[in-house]
Amino acid sequence: MKIQSEQEKSSYKNVWTVAEVANGAVHPVSYELIGAARRLADARGSQVWTVALGCGHTGEAGSLFAYGADKVILVDDSRLEAFNDELECNILQRLTIRYRPEILLCAATSRGRALIPRLAGKLHAGLTADCTGLAIDPGNGDLLQTRPAFGGNIMATIRSSEYRPQMATVRPKVMSAPEPLPGRTGEIIRETVEPGDVFKVKEILQSVRQNGSAVSLGDARIIVAGGRAMKGPEGFVLLERFASLVGGAVGASRAAVDNGWISYPHQVGQTGATVQTDVYIACGISGQIQHLIGMQSCKTIIAIDVDDTTPMMKLADIAVKGDLFEIIPAVIKEIETVKSKQEKA
Amino acid sequence: MEKNNTPKGFPAFHVEIIPPKQDSVKLEDDLTLFAAKFERVMASGFTASITDNAMGLLAFQGHECIEELGLKARPGQVLIHLNTFHTKETLEEILTACQRLGIFSVLAISGDGSPRLPKLKPAEMEAEETEAVTSVELIRYIRRHYPLFTVGAAFNPYEPEKHEFEKLDRKLEAGAAFVITQPIIEKNSVVDRLLQDYPELPVTVEAWMSKKLYLLSDVVGYPIPEDAVFDPIDTLRRLRDIYPLCGTYLSLLGFKTQYELIEAMSPERREAR
Amino acid sequence: MKIVVCVKQVPATADARIDPETKRIIREGTKAVLNPFDLYAVEEAVRIRERAGGEVIALSMGPENAKNSLIEALSMGADRAVLLCDRAFGGSDTWATGYALSKAIEALGGADLIICGKQAVDGDTAQVGPGIAARLDIMQAANVSKVEDVDPGHIRVCRSNEYGYDLLRLRLPALITVLKDINIPRIPTLKNARKARQADIAVWTPSDIGADPGLIGLNASPTRVVKTEPPALRDSVTLHIDGGEPEKAAAALAGELFGRGLL
Repeated sequence: MKIQSEQEKSSYKNVWTVAEVANGAVHPVSYELIGAARRLADARGSQVWTVALGCGHTGEAGSLFAYGADKVILVDDSRLEAFNDELECNILQRLTIRYRPEILLCAATSRGRALIPRLAGKLHAGLTADCTGLAIDPGNGDLLQTRPAFGGNIMATIRSSEYRPQMATVRPKVMSAPEPLPGRTGEIIRETVEPGDVFKVKEILQSVRQNGSAVSLGDARIIVAGGRAMKGPEGFVLLERFASLVGGAVGASRAAVDNGWISYPHQVGQTGATVQTDVYIACGISGQIQHLIGMQSCKTIIAIDVDDTTPMMKLADIAVKGDLFEIIPAVIKEIETVKSKQEKA
Repeated sequence: MEKNNTPKGFPAFHVEIIPPKQDSVKLEDDLTLFAAKFERVMASGFTASITDNAMGLLAFQGHECIEELGLKARPGQVLIHLNTFHTKETLEEILTACQRLGIFSVLAISGDGSPRLPKLKPAEMEAEETEAVTSVELIRYIRRHYPLFTVGAAFNPYEPEKHEFEKLDRKLEAGAAFVITQPIIEKNSVVDRLLQDYPELPVTVEAWMSKKLYLLSDVVGYPIPEDAVFDPIDTLRRLRDIYPLCGTYLSLLGFKTQYELIEAMSPERREAR
Repeated sequence: MKIVVCVKQVPATADARIDPETKRIIREGTKAVLNPFDLYAVEEAVRIRERAGGEVIALSMGPENAKNSLIEALSMGADRAVLLCDRAFGGSDTWATGYALSKAIEALGGADLIICGKQAVDGDTAQVGPGIAARLDIMQAANVSKVEDVDPGHIRVCRSNEYGYDLLRLRLPALITVLKDINIPRIPTLKNARKARQADIAVWTPSDIGADPGLIGLNASPTRVVKTEPPALRDSVTLHIDGGEPEKAAAALAGELFGRGLL
């Protein structure tokens, strides 16, 4: 909503987060959002409210308080079991108009990235996608939202001074979850699905879970990732071998995914997954900034490339310069040798 | 010349012609130029060798240009390049169109991909046992389903030698009937071995017709200085002397400045007159 | 079936570079291309029309040369194209873009189905599609990986998510955004490419679409970029291993990995 006066602006209060609830459980990104919201609310001297739309998740409210929510708005309804853009948007629109949050944060998951722009479109509010930094301007209290722009080559700070609520999405694992305080409680506000909310809402005929097809880059301890210099799908067959030997997962740069050498769930970077593994082995990845910001928090970064002037080779803790198709097989062989010796010993 | 290892009806000069790019902002001009080059090559009795999305850059297909512009492909004088970055439907379309146009020579190469280009799948090439479709599977497929076609293969003397000869054997076994090398600019020991070990195999060597020799750096695998002095015509003359039994493939030929010199060099042209 | 496919012209990403001294984007010589995700949107629109009949209209907002992206959409089989092009549209953020495109769709007499790419690769926001659906107050499905079927009143689609997919039934008019899994975009034939270059692309201004002057362009954009800076990257001391002799390098690397307790 465009703000007409200072008085109107100050009528918007508190930092809201929209919890990510799937299959009756709260997704960890919800806690990461609450952590970010807590810092913003403290800077504004206001409260953190978390909206949890879902089905059968009432028991989860306690964890939201433990991570820092002051109030939880709960809507527990069977019609909210699977994600329905129109229905959730209608509910959120109604709630935001009634309670006037100053800031609203949501996870940049497939759900959040569909839901929040719809809400922003309805409310005529500013929305910044995939923020990597959130802060309060000490001067005027505006939300300062930082996100990579132009393919991640530059960080842009964005604000929407004349509009409320200020809305932002954040990708999973970009912010860290705070330490929970067990026993911390707050107020639960129960809301229901109202008749107007279900007007012009799609039908969800079926929800299919495909276990196993998901690539769990997030759970891996080691990622072996490949880029353009892996030259083709055959290169990734080599990386699969490498990864399975060290008990890791295979990651990829956007270039490799765009070329169709490996599927999108393997993509690391701004437009893929953000990862914080113990070891990240970048093979033939030059290190476009959009890739680097998705993996630079990994503890140990190893780069293998023929060109040692690339950003990735400079960023790495260990940089091996040489022909990928000679080095990688040699490394695989060497690790196999060491491992078999260890097993014998 | 006592023995010519170029088969009959297979003129010794291949002139590379690159069709207009998909994103051309002056498509009609580009097509006019394509037609002029094509007709000139036909008139000279040379072979027009038409690339397929060279370097992964999206271009129109040779057969489309010929058909759309109403050009006439003289028998045996057109070689269509065909790489593995197509859908099965497009592949069939290209080969069917070639037959319609009386073009029965294709150069089957792995080619360069791009995010925009689909890749043939092993099952589509009836090669389920392989991980990915290479020129070998493509050659075999074309020979199996389009037996009227003569299929050529590429030969890269800059790859590790053992590996490249093994690959060549697989290409020949799949049905390749001739090879065209990567550009060479002097006597090349790997090409020498090729000619010696495969005496019956028609070989065409690629000559680099641009003065910008450094553009070859990626091909040869070592950096060539940007200011390297290079005389393409002179090099071509020498290559023709060193490899008198080979055809010559001319890439990046300057039609304005170089074409007449090439025509003057050509036995076919003299005969045609 | 009347289908509007929304497309955007974007800088070719590989060319987007930063000047190391000025830290600014080098825009000169940056080629502009049709947003890669939009190819899939155009292809899906054309396929639906090929099955169900009707018309595909390609719609874009941008500078005069964004016509090139519309030409590409026409080459792939769109029937006609409209470009929103006016200084007053300049500086639009995703909200203002969604508003302008929704007004253009209304000016076209509405559409049964609106298809967008998943996101544009220059901004990666994925906001404009849902923004249009919000303004038109129609149903939406983002991240569609398959269109199951379309009838005059409904569309059934598979929508991907982190856990699998949902099968959805939307009442038309509706908007979908599509993933790359949905199809293989065709490469235009020369015949169609020539025809597309002869086509008359309509260029519309705010008054042509009945836009509220207060709701377009920079002034109606809630978000403002207030600062840009190069990203902060981690600073580490790099141990260099020369891989000239692969076996030696491999032994050195494996030594480090085991020595540091990483394996």
